[in-house]
Amino acid sequence: MAIRTIDVRERVMARNDELAAEVRRRLAGAGIPSFNLVSSPGAGKTALLERTLDALGHELEIAVVTGDVQTQNDAERLARRTTRLVQAVVTGGACHLDARQVMESLAAIDLERTQLLFIENVGNLVCPASWDLGETAKIVVMSVTEGEDKPLKYPKMFREAKYAVLNKVDLLPYVPFDVERALAMALEVNPHLRIFRTSALTGRGMSEWLDFLRAQARQAVEA
Amino acid sequence: MHEMSVALEVCRMAEERLGPGGSGRLRLVGLVVGDDAGLEPDNLSFCLDALLAQPPFGEARARLQRCGGDVLRLDFLEVDDGDPDH
Repeated sequence: MAIRTIDVRERVMARNDELAAEVRRRLAGAGIPSFNLVSSPGAGKTALLERTLDALGHELEIAVVTGDVQTQNDAERLARRTTRLVQAVVTGGACHLDARQVMESLAAIDLERTQLLFIENVGNLVCPASWDLGETAKIVVMSVTEGEDKPLKYPKMFREAKYAVLNKVDLLPYVPFDVERALAMALEVNPHLRIFRTSALTGRGMSEWLDFLRAQARQAVEA
Repeated sequence: MHEMSVALEVCRMAEERLGPGGSGRLRLVGLVVGDDAGLEPDNLSFCLDALLAQPPFGEARARLQRCGGDVLRLDFLEVDDGDPDH
């Protein structure tokens, strides 16, 4: 028996990061800002996208990639709000999307006809933080039915995100959620986080969110 | 939580490095895993050992070395080149 050691010393995420860089290059070349929506299950990512497609679908060409462990339910919900193809990725057990899945999804999207791309990740505040998808930014969605201390419990996700959405604010009169405490914790983890407060159900707070998206689409074209 | 995804990627890297027919000679996979890598080392070892016991591998095991930070690196592969006299 002759045992031989092969030095590798290679990052395990290297291949994913190469693909993510290629996704980023393609989207930048096409002038498309892309946002990776991450949250715990049930925070309202799909509802936020439904409301966004309703409001902006007539003025911006928006493509969507959805990720779920099982079912295409989210993709089917969103497909009812847009004439564009909604790409569903069923991960078959994996707890996150990866750059290869996004790259494969791009092949089905008419990039020349797209001004904004959303990637709705699998509901999970842990794993998606570790996988670069080639997005412009991660947007972490939390809701007022969760604990205020989510940012402290899942700091990596809040550090990786550039934006946060506090959703379901219409429920504030009915739940013991301290908004200022939650926002302070989010900013403690990531002082640069820009935070939106929305209700995807009633539309409250949506105008600032929509203006932000319009500006992102405009700036990406100008760049 | 995504230990199986990481384990699958490690196996892909090992297969790529060892080439066709080489995976069966693999005996040990050495990984460096940071405390902030977002992985549970015991779970990762479990997933790797399960995968490395299946074809195209067979008798390989994983050895994890802990360190600080968010490092996640495939450090080395140990292969059995067989009896040098045959």
